[in-house]
Amino acid sequence: METTDKKRILIVDDSFYMRTMLKNMLLDAGYDVVGEAPDGKTALQLAREKVPDLVTLDVILPDNTGLDVLKGIKGDNPGIKVVIVSAVGQEVIMNEAAEYGAFQYIIKPFSEDKVLEALNNAFKEE
Amino acid sequence: MKSRDQEYKEIFIAEALEYFDALNRHISELEKNPEDEQLLAEIFRLLHNLKANAKAIGYTTIGDVSHKLETAFGLIRNKELSFTDEVVTVLFDGIDMLGEMISGIDGPNEVEPSPALLRNLDIIVNTLSDNTTELSKVQKYYTSKNLSLSDLIYIQIKKLDHLLNLVGELIIDRDRILSISKELDNDDLKNVSAHLYRITDELQYSVMDARLVNVGSLFNKFPRIVRDIAVTEKKEINLEISGQDIQIDRNILQIITDSLLHLMRNAISHGIEKADVRKKAKKTPHGNVTLSAQNDRDTVILRLTDDGKGIDQEEVKRAIVQRGFLTADAVKDLRETEVLSYLFEPGFSLAKEVTEVSGRGVGLDVVKNAIDSIGGRIRVDSKKGEGTTFTLFLPTSIAVKGALLCQIEENFYAIPLMHTDSVVAWPTQELHEVGDLLVADINGETITIVSMRELFNNDIREYSVKKKDLDNDVQNIIIVSYNNRKLGLIVDKLLRQQDIVIKALARPVNTIDIYAGVTLLGSGKVCLVLDVAAITRYFIARR
Repeated sequence: METTDKKRILIVDDSFYMRTMLKNMLLDAGYDVVGEAPDGKTALQLAREKVPDLVTLDVILPDNTGLDVLKGIKGDNPGIKVVIVSAVGQEVIMNEAAEYGAFQYIIKPFSEDKVLEALNNAFKEE
Repeated sequence: MKSRDQEYKEIFIAEALEYFDALNRHISELEKNPEDEQLLAEIFRLLHNLKANAKAIGYTTIGDVSHKLETAFGLIRNKELSFTDEVVTVLFDGIDMLGEMISGIDGPNEVEPSPALLRNLDIIVNTLSDNTTELSKVQKYYTSKNLSLSDLIYIQIKKLDHLLNLVGELIIDRDRILSISKELDNDDLKNVSAHLYRITDELQYSVMDARLVNVGSLFNKFPRIVRDIAVTEKKEINLEISGQDIQIDRNILQIITDSLLHLMRNAISHGIEKADVRKKAKKTPHGNVTLSAQNDRDTVILRLTDDGKGIDQEEVKRAIVQRGFLTADAVKDLRETEVLSYLFEPGFSLAKEVTEVSGRGVGLDVVKNAIDSIGGRIRVDSKKGEGTTFTLFLPTSIAVKGALLCQIEENFYAIPLMHTDSVVAWPTQELHEVGDLLVADINGETITIVSMRELFNNDIREYSVKKKDLDNDVQNIIIVSYNNRKLGLIVDKLLRQQDIVIKALARPVNTIDIYAGVTLLGSGKVCLVLDVAAITRYFIARR
C-alpha cells in the first residue's frame, strides 16, 4: 500500500522501554522500523539481514560495547548511517564514536525533536 | 494520548522491577566475588538503563538515586572505591530504596528517598574510600524484607493464540460431554457437566479478555498520520476521534491496521476536495474526517467518515459497464448500495490520477479481503457532494463465533451470524423463476433464492432450480448478506443459535469453496460452516 520509500530504521537498545519509546516516535514520524535488537549480536545480525538505512545505537549493551557494534556495522556496510542514542556523555566515547563513523550522538534522556532532527539531518546529507 | 502514557508507565515499571531483581541477584554475587568484572559491568548497565529510562519518563528521584549508584559502581570498577562492608551496606540500601520507589509509582503515596541514604551515597561517591566513618545508619522503611513481584507481565501474542486454540478444543469436548450426559440421563454426570459448562465458559471469556486491547492503541496513531498526508496533499484536515476505549482482540486490530490506513489515505487524497472547491460548495475550507468506534454486542463497529466530494453513483455505474462486470441494462436495475459494492471488486478503481500518498494498483478489494479473513463486514455509504462513510463490522474476538445452525437433509450446517440478515418463511408460490434461478421480492428487494439442497446435490456450476423442485408450500429462507448484497438460502430446518469454534477444513474438502470450515457439535456430529462470501459472490455473478 505504501508507495513512498520510507527510510528503514533498526533500533538497538537493551531496554524494552527505550525501544518502545523510540519505535513509537519513529513510526509516528513516518519511518519504517525494520527491527529491534536488545544486544550487540542481534544488532549485527539484523543489520546484515535487513540492511537498514539507519541504526539508532545504544552504547552500553549486555554482550558487547556499542562501539564494537558500530565498527561491525560500518565494516559490513559503510553506507548504513548510525546515530548513537545513549546516556553516556563522556567526551572520549563521543569522539571515538565519531571516529568510527557515527553520524550523531544523542544523549539520553532525549527529546523527541532532538532524535527526529538528528535523523532528518542524517538523511539530508545524502 | 493518555493510553500511550499509561502504556509507557506500565512498561517502565515492569522493566524497572526486572532490573531491580537482577541488581539484587548480582550484588549478592558480587559480595562473594568482588573482583568479577563482568558482574560489575552488568550492574553498571542495569543502573545505567534505569537512570536513562527514569529520566526519560520523568521519575527524577529514581533517576537521581540510580545515577548515584551507577557512579558508585563506576568508581568500584575503576578501583577508586573499594567494596568494603560499609560501602556494601550503603549500596544494598540504595538498591532497596530503588525497589521501594519503583513499587511506589503505582501506590497511593510517592516514595521519597531517605535523606540519610542520599547523604551516604554522596559520601561514598564523592569522598575517598577510607573516609567512610561518617556513614549514618539508614532507617529502613520496613523491618522484614517484603518479596514482591511485578503485577504486570508481558506475554507473546503467540502464547495467547495457543491458549485460545486450546480453549476452542476444550469447548468442543465440553459440548460433547454435555450432550452425552443428557442422553445417559445421569444426575451426577449432569451436575458435573453443568459445572464444566460454566467453568469453560468463564475460561473462554477470560482468555478472550486477556487478548483485548483498546482501539485507541491504533486510533491514537492517526492524528500524526493524517497530518502528514494532509501536508503532502496540501489540504487542511480536522480529524475527530472517538471510542478509543472500545476493546477488541489484538490480532483483529493488527489485521485491519493497513486497511484503515488505506481508507484514511483515500478519504484525504480522493475524498476531501481542495479548499477553493470546498468554499464554492459552501463547506468549511478544511476537510472534516471522523474516526469512531462503538460496540454492538459481540461486534465492534469502526466508522471512517469524510465530508468530501462523495462517490458519484453514475460514475461507478459507468465503470461497472466499462470494466465488463455487468451490461448497461443490468446496471440500471442495481440499487444504490449494490452499485457501491462494486468498489470492492478486484481491479475496480475510480482513481484517475496517481498521487504520492494514495498510490495506485491497490484497491478496496485488498481491504475487503483483510476484513473477510477475520469474518468481518465492510459497507460504504456515500452521497455525491456530501461525503463518504466506510463502516467496518468486526468480531470482538476471533476463535468463537456466533452462528445459526440449520439442517439440510441429514446434515447440519452453520452460518456465521455476522452474515445472517433475517429468517423468513416464504410461500413457494411467491418465488419467481428467472432463468435457472429463483428470486423473491422480500421487503421491497429482489433477492436471489438458492435451494441449498440442490446446491449440495449438484456441482455449483450446474446449479439450476425450478419451483417444482421444491417440496413444501412454505420455504425456510435464511437471508444472508455479503458486501451489501443479499441472498436467500432455503434450508430444511432451522435449529438454533450457538457459539461455534471453526476449524479449517483438511484437504481435499477445502477445495470446495462453499465451505469456510468445520465445527463439531455437542452431539459429536460434524457441522460444516458455510462460506457466505463465496456463495454470494458466485450467485451475484451469475445473475
